[in-house]
Amino acid sequence: MFTRLFAAEWLKLWRRPLAWAMLAIFLGLLALSLILWTLVVALHEGALGISLTVLREEQVAEIRRQLSLPGIFGMVLGQVNSTGGILAILLAAGSLGGDYSWGTLRSLLSRAPDRRAYLLAKTMALLLGLLIGVVLGLLVGVLIALIASAWLGLPHTLSVRDLLVLPIGIARALLIILPYLLLTLASAALGRSTLAGIAGGIVFLIFDIGAGSLTSLGLVNPLIRQVINLLLQPNINSLVMQNGQLFGLDQSLLTNALDPTVLPAPFQATLVVIIYSLLFGYTAWRTIARRDITGAQ
Amino acid sequence: MSTQASDAAIATEHLTKRYGERLAVDALTLTVQRGEVFGFLGPNGAGKTTTLAMLLGLVRPSAGRAVVLGVDVAANPVTALARVGAMIEAPAFYPYLSGYDNLRVLCRAGGIAEPRIAEVLEVVEMTSRARERVRVYSQGMKQRLALAATLLPDPELILLDEPTNGLDPAGTAEIRQLIRSLAARGRTIFLCSHQLHEVEQVCERVAILKAGRLLAEGQVAALLQRDQRLRVRIEGDASEAIALLKALPWVTGVETAADHLIVVTPTSRAAELNAYLAASGVPVAELAPDAGSLEDFFLEVTGAP
Repeated sequence: MFTRLFAAEWLKLWRRPLAWAMLAIFLGLLALSLILWTLVVALHEGALGISLTVLREEQVAEIRRQLSLPGIFGMVLGQVNSTGGILAILLAAGSLGGDYSWGTLRSLLSRAPDRRAYLLAKTMALLLGLLIGVVLGLLVGVLIALIASAWLGLPHTLSVRDLLVLPIGIARALLIILPYLLLTLASAALGRSTLAGIAGGIVFLIFDIGAGSLTSLGLVNPLIRQVINLLLQPNINSLVMQNGQLFGLDQSLLTNALDPTVLPAPFQATLVVIIYSLLFGYTAWRTIARRDITGAQ
Repeated sequence: MSTQASDAAIATEHLTKRYGERLAVDALTLTVQRGEVFGFLGPNGAGKTTTLAMLLGLVRPSAGRAVVLGVDVAANPVTALARVGAMIEAPAFYPYLSGYDNLRVLCRAGGIAEPRIAEVLEVVEMTSRARERVRVYSQGMKQRLALAATLLPDPELILLDEPTNGLDPAGTAEIRQLIRSLAARGRTIFLCSHQLHEVEQVCERVAILKAGRLLAEGQVAALLQRDQRLRVRIEGDASEAIALLKALPWVTGVETAADHLIVVTPTSRAAELNAYLAASGVPVAELAPDAGSLEDFFLEVTGAP
């Protein structure tokens, strides 16, 4: 039943204009940020005939690393977990919310009545879609990095080890998106609409980012740090940081939220993100499994 | 549940659905035999769609149970619904997909081979428009596509909720013909419709529901059979006949219809009535029991004005 439903969900996602629009927006924003980074370095080095120094030397060095191989991998994965996460919320909300609002959930579940398989198939199809988006993002990133490095003379030191750890980075990036994705599905199921899904996902994201900014309070008291580190955002930040480190980056140079001294340890971060994912996934499953399926909303 | 009921296409036993204080379906016990064309009637809000949704495992019963093709729906929905095709409420499709791709989605979900799509599109005469996006379809085209979707699994039991909504008279006649041909191939049809004329033409048995309660159930012919009304057509002016009939002690009423009279009296008195009118010099052109229509019966049973 899962395989059948996955094939159906994949066809729906593949043919959905919203999915392509989200991919285009993601790749566009990624390209834009890489071009801006390139311009920042070019201005810093006077390559455009003007010399502008607004960043510290170590910050520019970090950007140079992000525009080079293998640092570009960490940079792209970082983008996946910022703009990509928001776009994933919109896509997931549209995917489940659409089934409620168009009434197609009835047609599907009267033919394939295993609701657990339905939710699992939808989640896996979305993750596969995101995986393809990440891979395309990496290709675009490498392409722009090669152009930028040719212009600015940035060094590349791509090793076999970098390619071997790339799947780990991709898997970690998808793990970071997973709790938001499942929360969005749970919200869409609870509210039986796309709007409810978007609202649930985005509101939580805003709240979570806000709560994550409390991380620096952890410097005041270890107990406060432990409590704050049970929130999702510090753990997400920890995993994002690790993804950067995997490719020789130190993103704390550019983002205050990524202060390694107060962020949770990698094991805790992974565990907390998995626990949140299970909690949101269970809520989504319970809602879909127990609720009556009504007509179009 | 009896053996006969468990062998049936549909058997419900005290099937109940309650939404808070409101009882949507009230202890419905119903049996539809395999191969039957069964009409399921009721005014808006009677509980027809809720019953369909419970038969499809979409709505959880508050009490009682539903057995479809011999399998309890709540206990084993996958097996119960494997040979069921259903069209419930308004047609529901992905507007951004073509009609063909919508059917592909359902084929994949139901584990049905995709060549079947061409066959069902042919049946509902949608082949030429199948590659267009559903968002440009008219209501009638969506209705036809919904019927195609219903037929995809080559179902043994077909549940149809208002299948001719939005169709023109020619389309309605085609669907009626399709229902007959499916029935002729041994399929069981469970038809919810407001088109009582249509139901009367295609259904062998009907059940009438109101406020979740079963008011009547039986063979259409038997339900419409009335033993208290005679249909009398008089040659020429009927006023003398009306006066004569009203004078009879065993006639309790005379109603004037378009070209005939409805005489309220036991049908066993037909011969006596004919002789009386003939002896009084009133020629009777036609005399028969008045079977009435399903619509009359429906309005009478449901108490609608």
